[in-house]
Amino acid sequence: MVILLLVPAAAWAQTANNPPDAEAAAGGGAAFRPYCTPCHGVRGEGGRGPDLTRGVYSVGDTDADLFRTIANGVPGTEMPGFAADLRDEDIRRIVAFIRSIARHDVAGIPGDKVKGEKLFWDKGGCGACHVVSGRGGRMGPELTRIGPQRSLQYLLDAVLEPSKDMLPGFATITVIRRDGTKLVGVERGFDNFSAQLMDVAGNYYSFLKSDVQSATRGTRSLMPDQYGRLFTPAEIDDLLAYLVSLRGAETAR
Amino acid sequence: MKTMAALLIVLSAAIAASTVTEQQLRDAQADAATWLTYGKNYQGWRYSPLAEIDTNTVSRLAPRWIYQTSVGGNHETTPLVFGGMMYVTSPSNHAYALDLLTGKQIWHYHKDPPAGLNLCCGQPNRGFAALGDKLFKVNVEATLVALDARSGAVLWERQIADYKKGFTATGAPLIVKNKVLVGIAGAEFGTRGFIDAYDAETGERAWRFYTVAAQGEPGGETWAGDSWQRGGGSTWITGTYDPDLNLIYWGTGNPGPGMDGDVRAGDNLYTCSLVAINADTGKLKWHFQFTPHDTHDWDAVADPVLIDLAIKGQTVKAVVQANRNGYFYAVDRTNGKFLLASPYTKITWATGMGADGRPLVVPGMEPSETGTKVCPGLGGGHNWSATAYSLDTKLFYFGTADGCEIFFRTKQVFREGQWYQASTESAVPNEPLTGAVIAVDPATGATRWRYDLLTEHAAGMLATGGGLVFTGDAQGYFTALDARTGKPLWNFQTGGGLGAPAITYTVHGRQQIAVAAGSSIITFQLVDGK
Repeated sequence: MVILLLVPAAAWAQTANNPPDAEAAAGGGAAFRPYCTPCHGVRGEGGRGPDLTRGVYSVGDTDADLFRTIANGVPGTEMPGFAADLRDEDIRRIVAFIRSIARHDVAGIPGDKVKGEKLFWDKGGCGACHVVSGRGGRMGPELTRIGPQRSLQYLLDAVLEPSKDMLPGFATITVIRRDGTKLVGVERGFDNFSAQLMDVAGNYYSFLKSDVQSATRGTRSLMPDQYGRLFTPAEIDDLLAYLVSLRGAETAR
Repeated sequence: MKTMAALLIVLSAAIAASTVTEQQLRDAQADAATWLTYGKNYQGWRYSPLAEIDTNTVSRLAPRWIYQTSVGGNHETTPLVFGGMMYVTSPSNHAYALDLLTGKQIWHYHKDPPAGLNLCCGQPNRGFAALGDKLFKVNVEATLVALDARSGAVLWERQIADYKKGFTATGAPLIVKNKVLVGIAGAEFGTRGFIDAYDAETGERAWRFYTVAAQGEPGGETWAGDSWQRGGGSTWITGTYDPDLNLIYWGTGNPGPGMDGDVRAGDNLYTCSLVAINADTGKLKWHFQFTPHDTHDWDAVADPVLIDLAIKGQTVKAVVQANRNGYFYAVDRTNGKFLLASPYTKITWATGMGADGRPLVVPGMEPSETGTKVCPGLGGGHNWSATAYSLDTKLFYFGTADGCEIFFRTKQVFREGQWYQASTESAVPNEPLTGAVIAVDPATGATRWRYDLLTEHAAGMLATGGGLVFTGDAQGYFTALDARTGKPLWNFQTGGGLGAPAITYTVHGRQQIAVAAGSSIITFQLVDGK
């Protein structure tokens, strides 16, 4: 797996994949729009999902790997399977479309990931809310494998404007108890009759709405939105280099 | 009131009669102890006068028994109750007779669906119909089966249409006189929809009404070329019946292909319409088309509910529907004349209605290659789930999805038996759909109250003489609302999303409530005390 990621994708494309098919790619683009753009962007440039224009795929690089990923999804990630929604021929067309948009110019990240790691844990205090490989707080999303899961632009936006795209399940829950005291935390559950949340210290709370003054769900992230001021541009680059390097078990090796 | 007097008589007489007569179906509203047909009565009211459980006592409502079907998939069944038994259908051709007192399974019917089904939306089933000692249900591979109510034994089974071409069946049949009426699904596969009537005794087909007019027939001119042959117009939700007018009312689904209207220029009759059909002959009496030339998948299959409305001092025999296109409609059920339409959710595709009820369409709202944002979304508005009309409040209750979606289209070549929608829809980024339960005054179309939900509503409605509306949400809560205000008075976390309507009936004179949630059937009764 590690080797695969280091080999230029184009070298594999020549041996393992079908030749480019412009007509199939055009058809795939039509199917790509409704199903893939919500996470991978209108032009496949990525977002909440990986940037597909880089021509580097963590799931494997053959057409069969991409087909399998689209059909079955990636367990443990937000990538669902589409086998129930798309016919095999449409999935093959989407694979052709993905091939057609790959640039294969894997630009390096300008920052220094070693410096970025130190900034993450020390100056940024990011570990108070984010887990990386078992270390850190539980309030925010785990970042152990965040590198291949998000586009670079998405990671940058997430650092500078945390409320720009709220992940489902990470809304801010505010509860005002009968005695007027206020409790704020990240969503662990929310429905018409109850609310569950975790505070920054990792404490878990559950309330029936009928037992409190109010329980509301907001779309403003609990993550501070001051990192653009706290960090210099060079430090942001370092932090991004670190985040991009987070690839789960591979990082630990 | 006439119905109340009849109620008292029938209540004392209806102890565990294990057959259902045509007369009982006509008088179903007066028999509060049972639930004999999909919509409670022929008018589709889903209203029961039972009032033991009311706005005060509902706080003591608690589960009585739970039956776990262990069948996956959405449970959308309306159970039938008579003769000491509850009859429920599950997805994937399962059905059960349950002892009404204990929930114990008395018999289980199952038939393996064939491999290679062309399914639009899973394998749900919405319930039985009953006549005499027989039960009738559809199987997903587009067959109609008659079962012996006492044993579950198969008496006959008829192929309604060819599942290999994309036809499926999911709706509860409707008994009218000695006939079993069924609808069909499959508009996403380039099929041509219809409503069928079968002889209840023999299973022989008595008539078929095609919901897509052929070339040369009246309405055929509303289809370009031979596009009518793939015209869709599914009929997957049960209709209603007016015995006095001898008319059947049935909603029809979207034209095919759903998103590419260019290949089927014209109004595309009788898709996205309400059709009134002679019960004996299957001939069309009148039609009313809600969404001419639909390109947003706005099926008009929702319950056509028959209500006599007081409009401007006149009593009008009306049929009302919460349509998927975002408007609530009332139409004169004697002649199909438009009475009123009123938006109940955000609408961007039309600015209102002409005097004849034809929508004033906003240009540029068709699906496109790059996506067109339109409100409501593909599922509506109000989709298919059962609606209710309360005789006490004179309000009409239904669920809705609120919000918008992005509609795409593409060019697609038709191949028999293959998906033929010519693209699809997707969510608007950062604008998730929400939902609500809505109470509308059917005589004016005005919304009286809304009970907001976090996500789109899929469960059905039950209105009761106790001043309550029972419904549920996708988060698993089964909820009793105050029918006058929409205020939630009671809830129970069922552990499974609700996509079915509740029913009510009595056991030993005590009011019961039953509903499917997740894969289970749950019944409720007041806990004694206080």
